[in-house]
Amino acid sequence: MTIDNTQELVLNMGPQHPSMHGLFRMVVHLQGETVTKIIPKVGYLHRGMEKLAESRTYAQFIPYTDRLDYLASPHNNWAYVQTVEKLMNVEIPERAEYLRVIFGELARIASHYIMIASTSLDFGGSTPWFYFFRDRERILDLFEMTAGSRLTVNIMRIGGMSAEPPEEFWPALQSFLDDMPGMIEEYYGIFFGNEIAQARLKGVGILSKELAENLSITGPCLRASGVNYDVRKAEPYSIYDRFDFNVPVRTGCDSYDRTMIRMDEIVESVKIIRQAARDIPQGPIMAKVPKVIKPPAGEVYHRVENPKGELGFYIVSDGTTKPARVRIRAGSFINLQALPIVGAGWKIQDVIAIFATLDAVLGEVDK
Amino acid sequence: MFGKGLLKGLGITLKHMVGPKVTEFYPEEKPKLSVRVRSSMGLHPDKCISCNMCAMACPNKVIKLTSEKDENNKKRLKTYEMDVGRCLFCGMCAEACPTQAITVTQEYENSVYEVEDMKWDMIARAERKGKEG
Amino acid sequence: METINNLLQTLNNLFLIIAAAIRGLFPDPLSIWANLTLNVINVIMIIIIIVLNILVLAILERKVASWVGQRVGPNRLGPHGWLQTIADGLKLMGKEDIIPAGVDKFIYKIAPMFIFSLPIMALAVIPFGKGMAPLDLDLGIFYFLAMSSIATLAFFMGGWASNNKYSLLGGMRAVAQMISYEIPLLFSLLGVVMITQSFNLGVIVEAQSKIPFIFLQPLGFVIFMIAGMAEANRAPFDLLEGEQEIVAGPFTEYSGLRHGLFWLGEYSNLLAMSALVATVFLGGWQGPGFFPGWLWFWLKVGIIIFFTMWARWTFPRIRIDHLMHLAWKVLLPLSILNILLTGLGIYIYRLVMGG
Repeated sequence: MTIDNTQELVLNMGPQHPSMHGLFRMVVHLQGETVTKIIPKVGYLHRGMEKLAESRTYAQFIPYTDRLDYLASPHNNWAYVQTVEKLMNVEIPERAEYLRVIFGELARIASHYIMIASTSLDFGGSTPWFYFFRDRERILDLFEMTAGSRLTVNIMRIGGMSAEPPEEFWPALQSFLDDMPGMIEEYYGIFFGNEIAQARLKGVGILSKELAENLSITGPCLRASGVNYDVRKAEPYSIYDRFDFNVPVRTGCDSYDRTMIRMDEIVESVKIIRQAARDIPQGPIMAKVPKVIKPPAGEVYHRVENPKGELGFYIVSDGTTKPARVRIRAGSFINLQALPIVGAGWKIQDVIAIFATLDAVLGEVDK
Repeated sequence: MFGKGLLKGLGITLKHMVGPKVTEFYPEEKPKLSVRVRSSMGLHPDKCISCNMCAMACPNKVIKLTSEKDENNKKRLKTYEMDVGRCLFCGMCAEACPTQAITVTQEYENSVYEVEDMKWDMIARAERKGKEG
Repeated sequence: METINNLLQTLNNLFLIIAAAIRGLFPDPLSIWANLTLNVINVIMIIIIIVLNILVLAILERKVASWVGQRVGPNRLGPHGWLQTIADGLKLMGKEDIIPAGVDKFIYKIAPMFIFSLPIMALAVIPFGKGMAPLDLDLGIFYFLAMSSIATLAFFMGGWASNNKYSLLGGMRAVAQMISYEIPLLFSLLGVVMITQSFNLGVIVEAQSKIPFIFLQPLGFVIFMIAGMAEANRAPFDLLEGEQEIVAGPFTEYSGLRHGLFWLGEYSNLLAMSALVATVFLGGWQGPGFFPGWLWFWLKVGIIIFFTMWARWTFPRIRIDHLMHLAWKVLLPLSILNILLTGLGIYIYRLVMGG
């Protein structure tokens, strides 16, 4: 008698689930504890942003872009605002560029903190989560001092920045940067150095180099598979060509490298912020743009390096105050297509780990 | 030795267990928010010149204001309503105002029980605030 | 000095004096009615111990979890929040008792009762003080471990009867985990049995009057702690209720007081395991004279429970195949090695002392 008459179990890990990083639904086919097929179903957070953009003016759409990747909102603002400035051919002042870099890199650190904290929480260790969030509070305090809001900052305008940071911003920033090595020591002790966490991450979910390139994965997931491609170095936007920083690349292709590369990126971001805070010139923060923004008719595509991947905006303008079409190329949406391919064949707990390390934010995926 | 990372983790948690606590005890201790926090909107009716810039700057058409002409043929504010249920709290109205009549305030305890209470009459709120000082 | 000695003696034998007084109420102190009464009173005492234990452990767990994260736990009810469990219990009792359609009604209803009653039976053989074991069995350890093994069945009953795929997965993980860790659990205790030549828990505690067995059997202690945490489904081995993957495993479909009974059972299981560790490895009720014996016992149990909670809130969860690997390929050979070393040790000791 053979044991061929076992049945495959179809399990729905639905939109209401304690670890689905937002409203994400997966239907998994299970053979015992091993996953044979994953069918992701997205769309539970769809808010119609691209359609909304057609009935808002260019300046009115900026608060909406905050809500795309809500964990790193300055980057979304930055991508949109730079696209419109490219269309209108506006030069923005130096001080505004430096401030944009500082806020962007701070948001990168905050976003990577959340990714690692959520990975640890998915493994059942809830104390590293607290330590990461306690340190993220300092970044959010810096945002609150300047922009007025912690999460959806709405700080960039077409032509510069909306507000100048107050005086208590700069000492708080310096003390945060100086405390960083001690904080990283603690994270290694509590999460990365732990043998249980290492055993759950090493060798799990191999995303090979060819597969990553064929699926057009971008961001840290691509760089953990050995491909040295970063939009900040490949097509430098803003003033990134003035800073001296490395792009970390790892060749392990597994979940452990995808997690560790984010710690490396945090260290690099600290370097960039130090250089920017040292070299920032005095001056205005807003260029001379007209009150009513009417870009010339045409189309433009511009992309930035989001913490999750490459975020691109494609705007078609027909000469009026409202855009004709805005298309958002979100990094998380493209990265998420790796999940069914990489996740098949592992156990359920590994699928959770793979999904956590691919770092998809559902606001970007569903727009 | 296998297990060294585990023991180090135990040491870190023990150190934090006996250390100081970092949380705030709301509602006994209220948080001190910074001056620019956009948690609510406040109107100074005497500064308003009814230019309608705030209503045009708002992404979601939250502000509705009406005005009337008084004896010097200048515009004066009659009603000013905000539908806070649709508000994004983005602060673009406060940025657009040329006389700083509408500003962001730091009140954060704004929850109400009925949906109709989310349509704020800003002039009445300003008077109530003025009485309380 | 005399009076202090007398006072300490009385405190030590407090419960024995009360038992003798109750026996004295009957015309024949050794009749079957006296025995029956005392047994009923013993059972009620154990249930009271378990309920008090829940009251303390539920809030202690939340407090330890908060202290590790630099927060203060629940701090509204009672002094600094230590009476929180009463509110939790009242809340659970007030919830609607939902029984989903399609469950196997009989098994669904008795699964939580099993989980709650097994630790009561297991705790009956532990000596809480000098001569204070409610049931003095010659096969003490054997009976204890047999009662703990039935808990496997109860988890699986909860998982199967719930008509839910998450529960089924949880139930199957329960069976795999708890059966695999029974064997290192048993073998690590065999070293102690070899030294004392008896299964009786009272004799084992008496034999530790010179030196507690944790120094004679360090390897056995470590293996027993790890296997005990796995049997009690505590992190890092809590795949059963791996909230992030299978949303509470076999307990998913239970609501109200049935869910509460599962939690009671889990904490009682923890208490039973800690009580066994304190009895077998740490010397039970023995200790210097300024505290009565039964107080020493509870202090030792408290230390073990605190260590378990400390480990829970530091480590993440382990994967299922690593779990199996640990049980069969690491702990089992180590426990057999422990038996070998103990045997050699006893042989050499007899050779040196006897000859």
